[in-house]
Amino acid sequence: MKIIVAIKQVPERDARIRIDSSGKWIALDDIEFRMNESDAYALEEALLLREAHGGEVIVLSAGPERVGQTIREALAKGADRGIHILSDSLASYDALGVARLMAAAIRDEAADLILTGLQSDDLGLGQTGVILAELLAIPHSSLILKIEKTDTGIRVLRELEDGWFQQIEMPTPALLTIQSGNTRLRYATLMGIKKAKTKELRSVEAASLGVDAVPSVTLDSVALPSRQKSTQMLTGSPAEAAAKLVEKLQQEVRVL
Amino acid sequence: MLIASLHSAPAALAAFPLPALAEPSPFPLAEKLLLAALILVSAWLFWRRFGIVLRRILAARKDADFHLFPLTRRIWDFFWEVLCQAKVIRERPLPGLAHAFVFWSFLAFALVTTNHIATGFGFGFLDPAGFFGSIYFLLAAVFAIACAISIAGLFFRRFVVRPVWLAHKDNTLSPESGVIAGLIFLLMATYLGAYLVPAGSAAALVLWWMHTLTLLSFLPLVPHTKHLHLILSPATIFLSRGGFSRIPPLADDEDFGLVTGKDITQLTALQVYSCVECGRCTEHCPAANTGKELNPREIILGLRGYLNEYGPASEEPLLGRYNSQQAAFQCTTCGSCEFQCPVGIEHLPVIVGLRRGAVNTGEWDDEHGGKLFLALERSGNALGMAHSEREKFLAREELPAFDGSQEYCLWLGCMGGYDPKGREIIRSFVQVMRFLGTSYGVLRREKCTGDPARRLGNDLVFQQLAENNLENLAQNKVKKIISICPHCVRTIAEDWKAYGTPPEIEHHSEFLARHQARLPKQPTTGTTVFHDPCYLGRYRNVYDEPRSVIAASSTLVEAERSRERSFCCGAGGGLAFLGEEQGARVSETRVEQLISTGATTIGAACPFCNTMFRDALASRTDNAPQLLDIAQIAAAALPKTSQPNTLQENP
Ligand code: SF4
Ligand code: SF4
Repeated sequence: MKIIVAIKQVPERDARIRIDSSGKWIALDDIEFRMNESDAYALEEALLLREAHGGEVIVLSAGPERVGQTIREALAKGADRGIHILSDSLASYDALGVARLMAAAIRDEAADLILTGLQSDDLGLGQTGVILAELLAIPHSSLILKIEKTDTGIRVLRELEDGWFQQIEMPTPALLTIQSGNTRLRYATLMGIKKAKTKELRSVEAASLGVDAVPSVTLDSVALPSRQKSTQMLTGSPAEAAAKLVEKLQQEVRVL
Repeated sequence: MLIASLHSAPAALAAFPLPALAEPSPFPLAEKLLLAALILVSAWLFWRRFGIVLRRILAARKDADFHLFPLTRRIWDFFWEVLCQAKVIRERPLPGLAHAFVFWSFLAFALVTTNHIATGFGFGFLDPAGFFGSIYFLLAAVFAIACAISIAGLFFRRFVVRPVWLAHKDNTLSPESGVIAGLIFLLMATYLGAYLVPAGSAAALVLWWMHTLTLLSFLPLVPHTKHLHLILSPATIFLSRGGFSRIPPLADDEDFGLVTGKDITQLTALQVYSCVECGRCTEHCPAANTGKELNPREIILGLRGYLNEYGPASEEPLLGRYNSQQAAFQCTTCGSCEFQCPVGIEHLPVIVGLRRGAVNTGEWDDEHGGKLFLALERSGNALGMAHSEREKFLAREELPAFDGSQEYCLWLGCMGGYDPKGREIIRSFVQVMRFLGTSYGVLRREKCTGDPARRLGNDLVFQQLAENNLENLAQNKVKKIISICPHCVRTIAEDWKAYGTPPEIEHHSEFLARHQARLPKQPTTGTTVFHDPCYLGRYRNVYDEPRSVIAASSTLVEAERSRERSFCCGAGGGLAFLGEEQGARVSETRVEQLISTGATTIGAACPFCNTMFRDALASRTDNAPQLLDIAQIAAAALPKTSQPNTLQENP
């Protein structure tokens, strides 16, 4: 099985976020970057499939020089080779543009399976993978928890709302977007890092892929969420107060 | 010169006639030839086995970081531990002294034995009737009596009293120890017997030959039994790596720790062949004492078994043959074994080495361990908490940022920064520092020191954390660090040296003890038992400072196992973050020991001990003692007005 995993480098989860001077994105200096969480699960699924059925795992990522580090991390965890779409101005592409870059970079690979995380921890659009499938004209399925290989293709477990699941049989090639949390992620090892140094990491200039950088969706501005703490006093007898509390927890906070 | 002049003083001898050792008459040629032949056979039998061991040791990989110099430490260790037998005696005084007498007798007998064999060939150089000869022989006789009594006592202990620690895994005792004891006894008896018979008599001849034959049978037995330590352990002690629990740097890009026989170094090989199977390591091991598979002696003997079967060039994996992965990951790295071992075996480089081999190659697959490593990779703290949680704590406690102007960088550590109880310790310690007017600041981007990764053998994560922190400290121009966590202290002071020069660091107990006199006096109330944290006591040699802090406000009582014999809380070696334990919980066993002192308070000096004990105490229904860190004990003496921050931690 030849599997391509598309991963994204995102700002560290609890980074101290500031809006940059343009007001359109966050200031990136002084921020540490990580592999997007659901992408890490996609990579893990790919590695498990390769361990069970053989084949090759290729990681694909787009972005500036620093993204190379995340690709190398994936190589250290066991991916066989990497493709880096180099671009210092990825923000000028929208999800469609990024998917077009990716499609152009991997079309010749003719992979059996393409995996991506469900959505990115920073933008959270959840579209790039799905658009990529359309561009490559292959079937896709999102929110995947489990992948099994069958004689004719794959069987996947898909998460629906409210604790419902769906089993789907699909042909390959196919694209799946992976939900976090279903497997145990492996840790990076010293041996993996050493081996990663000898693995192929091919860089492709975004400009050379013939994709129009004019986005069809433009980002207008970003803002930090305003956080408000409000305190409400529940009055009445203990029983009444408790009843009010339950109602609030059910209707307003929606935790019950 | 002295001897010569004594020789020429027959008058003195005549005045005090000393008993003389009987020697046989000179041997005919045939007897000399027989003696020579027997010596050759004995030496050959000796070498046949010893040569193999020696070649195995020498064929092992060289220790990349070995330096013979400076010699002073080595000479001191040799003097203290070998010649004085200090470690042997200190921890088991009676059998230790018995052993020392056997050893000292062997030293005294070096000259006697050389002369004994030389006499057989007609070259005896000590005259039993001469002044020096008669005195020296008599001195040897005194040692011989002490040795005979000692060896008989040791025999009695091993085969009649039978301490459990001397038994093998399968609960048997090695019969060859009995044979060896018998031979040593015979050596001494045949020597002493020569005082009771006339010189040149047939009896003297029989005794001479019995002594010789005992000696010649003893020699080939040495390399076949644990008595190999007679020859190897002086070298082991002299050549040891030094330091405590020193984890050697990885030699090159191919080195991932102890994976196969090829990774065993010469020093490790020498050490495993020196083990005398005394079981002191196991006797003190918290894992072995709570029903776990780990047994430090069997770890060492396992490597020996591996070397015997596969040799040092083998590519067979080490784990899964004579050593098990489960056992290797049950070690709390408390260091009791290494501290106790009388022949200088360094267990921790071996145990951590085996873990490195399993983790650096990804072989170790453990749910909790994997989570811990991912937390360290992704969040930079062992608890996997969001960095913003720490920021909120800093803001709430008004802890100033370190800006280079303050005296100390207060290192919070994962526990101090994220754990509710750890934060209470920080809060108390900060109150004391504020009271004393000591300036301090906290780093905004402090990460875990990498201690759990280091002890669990994850060199990648450890290196990343150490380098990241070192860079951060250098950028902020930190000169002095103070920490409430002995694990942070040890890791920063020693382990980080592999990647740079860490700033000076001390544990808060050292600081508190130094400033004790400036804190308000308090009346003494209750009794407190202090639990020595492994990483403060054995690892850093700090025993008295925390005690002096406690003694200022409470009557100090000691647990049966305290100071360097302290029993681990169960948290070290990354185990605080792993899953359920096999057998009894180490923490509960320790709490039991502390409670049995009857103390009203347990004094702790490590946030990890604190957390382990807290859990162990929570499961008890009886009126358990209260648990306080020494910082909390010291802060209790402060006037209430200097404790502005009484806000409780949000759960
Ligand atoms: S370090 Fe402690 S827990 Fe580990 S083997 Fe030695 S005595 Fe046992
Ligand atoms: S390792 Fe040391 S303490 Fe343990 S049995 Fe061997 S000689 Fe004794």
